[in-house]
Amino acid sequence: MKKLTSILLIISLLVTTGCDNFLDITPTGRVIPETAQDYRKLMTEAYYLMPSSRGLTAFISDEIDMTSKNLDSYDKDTFLDLWLWNNVNPSGSTTYFDWEKYYKMIFIANTVIENEKSITNGTEAEINQIVGEAYMMRAYNHFILVNLYALPYNSETATSSTGIPLKLNSSMDEVLKPSSIAEVYASVLSDIDNAEKKLNVETWETGLNYRFNTLSVDALRSRVYLYMGRWEDCYNASERVLSKKNELVDLVSGRTLPNAYNSSESIVALEMNMTSTYNNVDKLVPKALYNLYLPGTQDQRARKFYKTEVGGYSLIKGGSSEYRCSFRVGEIYLNAAEAALKNHHPEICKTLLLKLLEKRYQTAAYTQAEIDINAMDDDALLDEVYLQRQLELSYEGHRWFDIRRMEKEKRPVLTREYEGQTYRIEDNYPELTIKIPDEAKEANPYL
Amino acid sequence: MVYTTSIFAATREVKGLVTSDGDNLPLIGASVFVSTDDLKKINHQKESIGVMTAIDGSFIINVPDGITRIYCSYLGHNQKEIKLGKETFYNIHLEPSSYELDNIVVTGYQNIERRKLTSAISKVKITDELIGNTHSIDQVLAGQIAGLSAVTSTGAPGAPVKIRIRGTSSINGTQDPLWVLDGLPLEGTDIPKMEELQDIDNIYNTSIAGINPNDIEDITVLKDAAATAIYGARAANGVIVITTKSGKKGKTQVSFSTKLSYTPNVNIDRLNLLNSDEKVQLEMDLLQSDYTYREEKGGVSQILQQYGQMEAFKNGGFNAISSDAQAAINRLRNTTTDWNDILFRDAFNQEYNLSISGGSDRATYYTSLGYYTEKGNVIGVDASRFNFTGKTTYKVNKHLKFGASVFANQMKNNSFLTDADSFSSPTYYSRRANPYQLVYDENHNYVYDDNVQGKGDDRNADFNIFEERANTSHENTSQSFKSLFDVELKINSMFKLTSQVGLQVDKSTIEKIADKDSYSIRKDKLRSIVNGASYLPDGGFHKQTDTESSQVTWKAMGEFRKNIRNEHEIEAMLGTEIRKTWYKSLYDAAYGYDRKTMQSKPILFPEESHSSMFPLSTISETENAYVSGFATFSYSFRHRYTLGASIRFDGSDLFGVDKKYRYLPLYSVSGLWRISSESFMNGIEWIDNLAIRASYGLQGNIDKNTSPKILGKYENRTILPGTTEEVISISSPPNEKLRWEKTHSSNIGFDFSVLNNRINLTGDYYFRKGVDLIGTQMLPLETGFSSTTINWASMKNQGVELSLNTHNIKMKNFDWHTTFNIAYNQNKILEISTPETQLTPSLRGYAVGSIFAYPFGGLDSEGYPLFITSAGNKVSAEEYFNIKTTENGSYASNLSVEERRNRYKYAGTTEPVWTGGFFNTFRIKRFEIGINCIFNLGHVVQTSPSYSPTLFDRGMNTNRDILNRWTPTNTNTVFPTLMPDDKRRADYYAYESLYVDRYLDLWVKKADYMRLQSIRVGYRLPESVLNIFKMTSGTISLEGRNLLVWAADYTNYLDPETMGNEYAQPIPKSVTLTLNLNF
Repeated sequence: MKKLTSILLIISLLVTTGCDNFLDITPTGRVIPETAQDYRKLMTEAYYLMPSSRGLTAFISDEIDMTSKNLDSYDKDTFLDLWLWNNVNPSGSTTYFDWEKYYKMIFIANTVIENEKSITNGTEAEINQIVGEAYMMRAYNHFILVNLYALPYNSETATSSTGIPLKLNSSMDEVLKPSSIAEVYASVLSDIDNAEKKLNVETWETGLNYRFNTLSVDALRSRVYLYMGRWEDCYNASERVLSKKNELVDLVSGRTLPNAYNSSESIVALEMNMTSTYNNVDKLVPKALYNLYLPGTQDQRARKFYKTEVGGYSLIKGGSSEYRCSFRVGEIYLNAAEAALKNHHPEICKTLLLKLLEKRYQTAAYTQAEIDINAMDDDALLDEVYLQRQLELSYEGHRWFDIRRMEKEKRPVLTREYEGQTYRIEDNYPELTIKIPDEAKEANPYL
Repeated sequence: MVYTTSIFAATREVKGLVTSDGDNLPLIGASVFVSTDDLKKINHQKESIGVMTAIDGSFIINVPDGITRIYCSYLGHNQKEIKLGKETFYNIHLEPSSYELDNIVVTGYQNIERRKLTSAISKVKITDELIGNTHSIDQVLAGQIAGLSAVTSTGAPGAPVKIRIRGTSSINGTQDPLWVLDGLPLEGTDIPKMEELQDIDNIYNTSIAGINPNDIEDITVLKDAAATAIYGARAANGVIVITTKSGKKGKTQVSFSTKLSYTPNVNIDRLNLLNSDEKVQLEMDLLQSDYTYREEKGGVSQILQQYGQMEAFKNGGFNAISSDAQAAINRLRNTTTDWNDILFRDAFNQEYNLSISGGSDRATYYTSLGYYTEKGNVIGVDASRFNFTGKTTYKVNKHLKFGASVFANQMKNNSFLTDADSFSSPTYYSRRANPYQLVYDENHNYVYDDNVQGKGDDRNADFNIFEERANTSHENTSQSFKSLFDVELKINSMFKLTSQVGLQVDKSTIEKIADKDSYSIRKDKLRSIVNGASYLPDGGFHKQTDTESSQVTWKAMGEFRKNIRNEHEIEAMLGTEIRKTWYKSLYDAAYGYDRKTMQSKPILFPEESHSSMFPLSTISETENAYVSGFATFSYSFRHRYTLGASIRFDGSDLFGVDKKYRYLPLYSVSGLWRISSESFMNGIEWIDNLAIRASYGLQGNIDKNTSPKILGKYENRTILPGTTEEVISISSPPNEKLRWEKTHSSNIGFDFSVLNNRINLTGDYYFRKGVDLIGTQMLPLETGFSSTTINWASMKNQGVELSLNTHNIKMKNFDWHTTFNIAYNQNKILEISTPETQLTPSLRGYAVGSIFAYPFGGLDSEGYPLFITSAGNKVSAEEYFNIKTTENGSYASNLSVEERRNRYKYAGTTEPVWTGGFFNTFRIKRFEIGINCIFNLGHVVQTSPSYSPTLFDRGMNTNRDILNRWTPTNTNTVFPTLMPDDKRRADYYAYESLYVDRYLDLWVKKADYMRLQSIRVGYRLPESVLNIFKMTSGTISLEGRNLLVWAADYTNYLDPETMGNEYAQPIPKSVTLTLNLNF
């Protein structure tokens, strides 16, 4: 009996001591982030999630033509109802604007921000940079969301207009009500300020330049102030960017497109605005858009951005990750030009516009443009600024937002002629605002 | 010194021979004894007097004077009382106890004597009669045990059975019981969700299906916590313990059995599908109506478009169109393709089993081989299984015993490729394809069905089901190997050490091949078009998934057993178990594949991002470890009072979880009072047994995938060209609040036997309360996730189980046994967190399977459904859901979430309230007749509407309800009119976007049914025949299975059990001829 008891005792002792080791299995491929390297990997995943919804707005603005006879059934299923602004009973496979992924990126950003103090194994600069990028990501995503799903910023109504939910922590418990547009913009600006204090990398090596850097702080401010109509702030922010980086791609002599990730204009090469599926739509460039460029080879953009096919044009400046672009020097020039004009400095506006066109036009065309632009009055100049934004930043996710914030009388009329029927945007996109996706509304009754 | 007198008490010698009543063979080792109570009565100093029968079945026992009876017992036979008269020689025939309960219950950890059993346990002996025409053990259990419900998922070959013990205990976690094979808890026995099963595309081989039912001796089902606590967290849904056959000491026995069964093709008349004439007429009627949805679809529309007669037809009808078009439409009317006939068939299945067993004093053996092949009712679908079992035991000496067993099997399922999001499943297709659709044209080329569409989208690839069947294949081959090694060391009469090592390896290979000319590859090509052409290489595809899961379990137990003066019986057991499991899967795909040359071609992806759409290789691996310690204790006093207790600690490798959460003690206490052994019951001879049992236990479970921290997975991502980085991806949100899910169970039961065990009644009442149940909750997408796991509910299950065995008539040439069991289960959710966004009512106070529906109040004067408000008024959908136009011109319901919820009314539960079975066996001379009925009552099923009033697709076939839809000339009907999209826009929105017609209580049907599960006639071959072939016994039997079903209402469906999914293969009817021979 004693013998047996001791045998049992020994066995149970062996088992219990061995237990914890036996149970300490780290599952292959799974990890709980702790170190700065882990958090960097987490941020990379967040960047990877970046949706292409800004680019998708091309389909609801005036940048896409879907009347080609060769349109395949896939494209019809995926884009036609979007292009015809049918958001009442679209085909089930219609591509729509993203919601959840933007917030998933924000979740990762919030996690990084909340864990700043507990990140191990990294230099202060390294950790600061990661946290700064997280602030930038939160700011940029809220900014995109409010512009996709709420009315354009209007300083008079911003405090009373419904914006989007501001997600500023990683909690799973709250059901957020949308904040006002003013609150969202305030939060965006404050996040940018926080990012400014942390960011310390000015240039990322090519291949990693999808990440936010110190330059992107003012680049984002430039766009935010532009959308807010705070012209002086916009101009100042733009100037700060241009003081550090102002080199424009020379389209006349160069081969790299300005929106390529490895172009000298690239500030942040994050969003793939025209994915390959968007880009596959047969002869998607509207003739009306192509015809806005100077004819022949005078405007190099027409030749380099588009490919002439039988019966239409297809797009060169999109369709692959090579053309990831969220911020670039060209946009900053145009932001600055517009802000200068609206802040009553037309001469600065003219100078900036011409600096851009110098790199886009053949010499003869440029000389003519110099004469024309310098002769313009403010109204004509504004038309020219809008036109140049349309031509320069085509398919880079700007046009829809530009149309929205234009003065009503300058807005183009958006209509479609398709199979003998006429479609008008006003019917389904009141105030040019996109409906929040149904699955988001189902999960949050306040939307 | 009271006893001294009896020392000198005289004894007399009694001799006899014990034989088995069935075959008249002598029983070796049967015990013949004088009962303790009798000895006490005469104040004998010995507590027991008993002997064993010798090799020829004979015995000699010295019986003290004053003793008037002796008892004889043998395992597997009824104990018999022999009244002693003047004779000195007694021939004792023991009756095999196939209907009564055995004396030993195997729990997988312990063998418990039934008299000490304190918990709710049911045992079924697996006989040839019971197996009948089933091929897997889970099918055998249907209706056999009170409180166990077994629902066959589909009639497809190898389809698993959904088994629930005492209702649903977990809402989101696994609800399947734990299966234990000879002490080894099996892995891989969870069956997928019903919806996935009913898709013919998914063919499954569970590890249960691999076990040959003919190798099984008996099955014990552990139902209450007192019984299952010893299995720990995995046993929350009950335990099914399989004990396989082993060799018996004696001469070598050879058994052979074969089963040949015939399953006729399903008769689909019940589906009421439209024939060509009706379908053509319907299409013509619709074209002249204002219902325009998918107007270009359907044969008539296509003919009119082809002849350019659409306008003419719409304006003037059939007489206004050209004679060519008229002729074409008439041809269509007279073209009939009988899809059921050409896609399905009569099936013929065969099964063969051979087993050899026997043994000596030292060793016993059991070896068996089994082969079974099943042809599905769907042409092109078949399954087969090959089994090998070997079991041996060696007795080294009186202390040491070894046992080793091997169970190996290979299963194969063959099918062709079908897929969930299209109509390529033959069952689905046969019911939706137009009756006039042709398979081949006059030149024997395939005719593609252009009315077929994947889930509502307009993408279209050429589809012909015959081409698909010929040019694709889907094969699932799985091999399973289980082996057990046992050691038993009996130190002395009190101590015993046992240990078992179990190994289980399951490998499966799923191979999917599509040739160049198939819909499957065309669909992939559609997804891969860049610049007008697919980048997939020319040819088909070959996709293969290999999975391997394995486990090693080692357990060791020490048992202590002491009997003090036959008054105090103490048993204790202490043990430990460690277990490790591995899972690995490998997926491999090749495109441009050619079956003949077995060559494939590389894919030239236009861009890296496309490669994720066509992954070529995926590997995944998991490893888990578990450590457990457990103990049981039982004490009996005077055979009347028994107390039991058990406890178990389970530990496992929860990654990212605080170590203190690794272990949760699970325990149980239980008691038994055997009233019939009390002295005050002595005079009541007719009661054989009366006992009351009670138990309480705590079980628990934890979600292994939830962590309080962010738990990520390494992956590689490319954002910018040429730079690939390692990232950490997060698929579920961190969760700090998750606690163990706990279940408290109580059980009170009784066992009652009277009239020499001719009537046995067992009853149990149980109450089970689950708290902190783990479930999934939707999250607002602003959190970045769509759902998370929370402790969201508490739920109770209570019920009553009764099981009655009666031996109604017992005569030499006529014998009648009845078994009746019935279980009542009531499930109720006590607490549940309902997300504020949920549009359906909270389940609080209702059963987990509750269905809520809108009260239907008939049709209005335009054929639109009416809804009954809480005030009893009948209103339109527009009013019921308060649908208003929004500022952007579309429509929305202006009801609050709360109001939306209140629009639903409770309509019943999908879980049967009453379940049970009724079995009768008659023996008339050499014939045996068995009639088995099973029933499920008190539940409902939500069927799909026959058609959608807004989205009815005229390109496809449907049942005849559409002909009875409301029209101005047919107003006396419940079937709504087809609604044009420009009329009553708010109502249209309700049906088209909110799908409110699907949730009308009109479609909730009673699902009660009773099934004549089996009717069987067996014949035992007479000795004259047996002697010729030197056989010891032989039977031949004929069984009809699922021949009849009685149900409340299953119009338009083939079977009440598959009503929820009209496209599932119904439970097949079959007739089987079985031959069993023993040598």
